[in-house]
Amino acid sequence: MATVKPHKSIRWNTKCLLCLVPSLLGLLLFYIIPYLRVLYYSLINNQFKKDFVGLKNYIDAIQNEYFRLAFFNSIKLITVCVPVLILLAIAVSLGLTFLLKKLRLVRVAFILPMLLPTASVVLFFRAVFGQVENELPLYLLFIWKNIGICIILLTAALTTIEDELYEAAKLDGAGGFSLHVKITLPLILPTISFSTLMAIVNSFKIFRESYLYYGSNYPPDYGYTLQYYMNNNFLKFDYQALASSSVLTSLLVAAIVSAFLLAERRYQR
Amino acid sequence: MKQLLRFLLLLLAAVFFLPTLATILLSFYPDGQVGFSGYDELFFDCFRFYTMFWNSVLYAYVITALQLVVILPAAFAFSFARFKGKEALFFFYIILMMMPLQVMILPNYIGLRDMGILNTRAGIILPMIFSPFGVVVLRQYMKSMDGSVIEAMRLETNSMVRILLHAVAPQVKVCLYAVGLFVFAECWNMLEQPMLLLQDENLKTLTVFFSDTKNVSDQVLYPASVVFMIPILLLYLFFHRELERGLTLHETN
Repeated sequence: MATVKPHKSIRWNTKCLLCLVPSLLGLLLFYIIPYLRVLYYSLINNQFKKDFVGLKNYIDAIQNEYFRLAFFNSIKLITVCVPVLILLAIAVSLGLTFLLKKLRLVRVAFILPMLLPTASVVLFFRAVFGQVENELPLYLLFIWKNIGICIILLTAALTTIEDELYEAAKLDGAGGFSLHVKITLPLILPTISFSTLMAIVNSFKIFRESYLYYGSNYPPDYGYTLQYYMNNNFLKFDYQALASSSVLTSLLVAAIVSAFLLAERRYQR
Repeated sequence: MKQLLRFLLLLLAAVFFLPTLATILLSFYPDGQVGFSGYDELFFDCFRFYTMFWNSVLYAYVITALQLVVILPAAFAFSFARFKGKEALFFFYIILMMMPLQVMILPNYIGLRDMGILNTRAGIILPMIFSPFGVVVLRQYMKSMDGSVIEAMRLETNSMVRILLHAVAPQVKVCLYAVGLFVFAECWNMLEQPMLLLQDENLKTLTVFFSDTKNVSDQVLYPASVVFMIPILLLYLFFHRELERGLTLHETN
């Protein structure tokens, strides 16, 4: 960059900036402006009168027993499934990288579920778990579906670790388990945290699986997550309830993601 | 000890593979006996399937292709342009990428309604082209890019398009393939958008066909599931190396 004249550099910078325009314009048109309108909808009583009612819709949402049930179920899914998923993915990735290096085909078994249409295997899950009356089948479906992306990210990070590091550590007397705790873990920590974040976000996307699994808009109580609440309000054209719960959920997700990224940044320093 | 761990891992792989395998096997087992009658019924008595299959193909290809056209320059801008609030804007992209679909479905619906493209193909395609996922992943990948190639290219040409095509794209090819495959799978599997934003049956996708368990018998569903797997399986077989190498994240921040 040192050889470039200043005025040319400004022109270059402008050109680079222009590259961002299509993406930004699309976001603005299809995501940001519509979201702001929803924010407005969440503050009025209905679309026709358009009286400003403050936080009434939010209070209604929080007091709604179905919203609370859905909220609780969604949080439960995150706190139970995500840790299990991540630990399992770490164990499998370590195994695939260090124990089964030559059998590359094995990893396909874990990656396929991510790519395959959920619809095509839901039938099988229903046949096997049809009698089970709790959230277990849904949790298993979630883990089955989401382990692939975690394993891709983790194995990619693991293969970038140089063999010399392990050789050196072995010479120093470290072996087996302690080797991985001392060397592997710190090196793949950024990837672990990113995988966790992806898993949390995907847990909000479980609706697709559970909708196909239960085959209706009214699943049993234990399977009723936030997405159902929104979906059903959408079908009932109850925009105010939907708008306020959308805004609440988006704030929750934004808070989780920001906390995560800030914590990571602090750790890296 | 190592043998035991290996065995456990293989066992786990088998368990994870089981649902896929069972679906394939059951498709050849309609009416409690081995045969192709399920496929017969699907291919010759179920014309809705063809329309919906075509729709799925169309949406997935168009969205993937157009999204790649949008994210390459955008990720490039995030890597090379200098402007105030760049990091904040990127942070916003990450947050938006993490938003669950249900949060955006009402905004989406209202936006499309007011633009007059609700219940059209464009209404499904346009919002998905601008999904921020690809921009975030590609920008991370570009951190390992060799800037001198771009500098050299700048001496030759003033055209941004040529720089992007000849100096940037070849260097991030692997990541483009990976993102492309990922986006394709995402579109192929999308359920909420066609279900909630479309009324016209002729515009809906195969995923809607599967969720319609009242009108479709199990006998047809299993073979249909197998046919549904094939395009994505083929793409995976072609691009699995790119998928694994292209999603290497250098850092998340």
